[in-house]
Amino acid sequence: VWSLLLCGLSIALPAFVRADVCKVISMPNETTSVDGPFAFNCTYPPLTSGEVNITWYKNSSRIPISKHSESRIHQDQTWILFLPFALEDTGIYQCVIEGRNSCHRIHLNLSVHKKYWCNGSRNGLLNLSEEYKQILHVGDDGSLTCHLIFPESCVFDLIKWYKDCEEIKGERFTPLRAMLTVNNVSVEDGGNYACKARLKHMGKTYTVLNGITVNTTERTGYGGNIPKIIYPKNNSIEVLPGSTLIVDCKIIDMRDNTNLRCWKVRNTLVNDYYNESGRVREGIEDPVRFREHISYTVNITFLEVKMEDYDLPFMCHAGVSTAYIILKLPVPDFRAYLIGGLLALTVVAVSVVWLYNVFKIDVVLWYRSAFYSPETMEDGKLYDAYVLYPKPHQESQSHAVDTLVLKILPEVLERQCGYKLFIFGRDEFPGQAVADVIYENTRLCRRLIVILVPESPGFGLLKNMSEEQIAVYNALIQDGIKVILIELGKIDNYTAMPESIQYIRQKHG
Amino acid sequence: KSQKLVATYPQKGNIQDINHRVWVLQGQTLIAVPRKQHTVSVTVTFIACQHQETLEKDRGNPIYLGLKEPELCLFCTKVEEQPTLQLKEQKIMDLYKEPQPVKPFLFYHNQSGRNSTFESVVFPGWFIAVSSEGGFPVILTQELGRANIADFELTIQS
Repeated sequence: VWSLLLCGLSIALPAFVRADVCKVISMPNETTSVDGPFAFNCTYPPLTSGEVNITWYKNSSRIPISKHSESRIHQDQTWILFLPFALEDTGIYQCVIEGRNSCHRIHLNLSVHKKYWCNGSRNGLLNLSEEYKQILHVGDDGSLTCHLIFPESCVFDLIKWYKDCEEIKGERFTPLRAMLTVNNVSVEDGGNYACKARLKHMGKTYTVLNGITVNTTERTGYGGNIPKIIYPKNNSIEVLPGSTLIVDCKIIDMRDNTNLRCWKVRNTLVNDYYNESGRVREGIEDPVRFREHISYTVNITFLEVKMEDYDLPFMCHAGVSTAYIILKLPVPDFRAYLIGGLLALTVVAVSVVWLYNVFKIDVVLWYRSAFYSPETMEDGKLYDAYVLYPKPHQESQSHAVDTLVLKILPEVLERQCGYKLFIFGRDEFPGQAVADVIYENTRLCRRLIVILVPESPGFGLLKNMSEEQIAVYNALIQDGIKVILIELGKIDNYTAMPESIQYIRQKHG
Repeated sequence: KSQKLVATYPQKGNIQDINHRVWVLQGQTLIAVPRKQHTVSVTVTFIACQHQETLEKDRGNPIYLGLKEPELCLFCTKVEEQPTLQLKEQKIMDLYKEPQPVKPFLFYHNQSGRNSTFESVVFPGWFIAVSSEGGFPVILTQELGRANIADFELTIQS
């Protein structure tokens, strides 16, 4: 008896052990409609990718689902197939996947929902929650799919499409295998659709009915896949060194893009380029969504602009699009500078003219004293004028002449005006021969000043003096130097003068 | 230095294929299922790689692609000499902060109208696609066509 019991246990044990070892996996609940065909594939990649044994069970039954294709419920390859599904079929089904060294048990909860199909009382399909949901894009060509997920033993034909219980007809709609293509989608194309397919299996036909809720979206992509950089526009920015600068890169792109947006310098991300200092860095992207596109703002911050930043393109990238900024030192305002400069120039010019008018003589004197050397000038002359004067015997006249020649003329012409005079009796060296002195010094003078005294017995002296003769000879004949006549008192009779003096007077007036 | 990085969060979005199927996480695998009212599809996270200099220019935007909840990232690796798509526990922003591109986690996102493709950076020519076999897993393939649909629509969440 014991051995029999043990024997029985040893037979039963592997089944229990196996059941316990199998890992349980739960699948999401499935619902289907009564009286329609239903199929479920036991797949769980990668578990079911290799060589595995798959067996379907209902509830906790130890008897596998039949593999007879004639059965209403049967296993077909890895599938469980209900032809059709009945109300009493609801419950938990298990699919055991046995590999060489593994075992998995998949739990599937099957329930039913009632499907209303355009039968009087209700217009359209009630249980929308279990229907398929698909999307069409307004303005585009699109397609709807009739999902017919059944094993290969099931063959479909005669797929018909309905919208709100009406069979779909029209040029815009083309059924193609399990798809319905819809050309030039409009908002009105949204709504409740159904696809009805005839399923053939082992000579019998069944009808699969799928409800599809179709929504339309009006969202169209931004024209073209190329992002548009609104700013910068490859422009320069004037900024002073040391200042803080923030520049926004403004981008418009299509909504569903995966473009990288960044700031680069020398083809390196600024965040990498200034990794150490962090002096220049990129801001956080700020997207603003619109119906058809997204706009982004990505800024670049220069905490402190340095000289090395100038004339270097800082590039904003958005996908394949780029645009740069270049920092420039501020250019001074030309007009302001021009007006200011002219004004200053005018003021200076006016003051110079005024000062010149006021201090003309002082300037000339200062100039002379500063730059005129007592040495011979370029013309080889040492003196500005030779003063030729008579030496009257009469006491009063002699005194007047001496005062003029030795006091007034040096005072005015030499001290005040800076001229240099040669006055015989003052400037010659003692011991020199009189004729030589006169001859040489008249040649060193630019002008000859002749002092005339009214007719007097003394005047005759001048007439006879060799001094006068030599000087006048030099002036008139040899050098042709200018002669200045100074009349000391009124002269009534010029005929008494020497002819040379008369000639000079006549010539110069 | 705390402001060193530009983005603080990745962008979020949803992906569906041209057959109105959305991505659902089943165990450690993404599968594509027809969208229904109560379908819990994954929210994908993505962010453009900052260091694109060493990557190809004309294949699309190099992006890191992940899931919001649980925090996983899509990456490509060879399993028995076959490039495959896997999910790995990985913070997407950690990848973003890397000074070099982390190529197994990068995909060239190429947009043409509404359609997006995601091509592996580490295995050029291999695309993320929905396989029509065995429960519609999201796989990596170089054979595009009706059996493997690689055209997706990426919608960014506000």
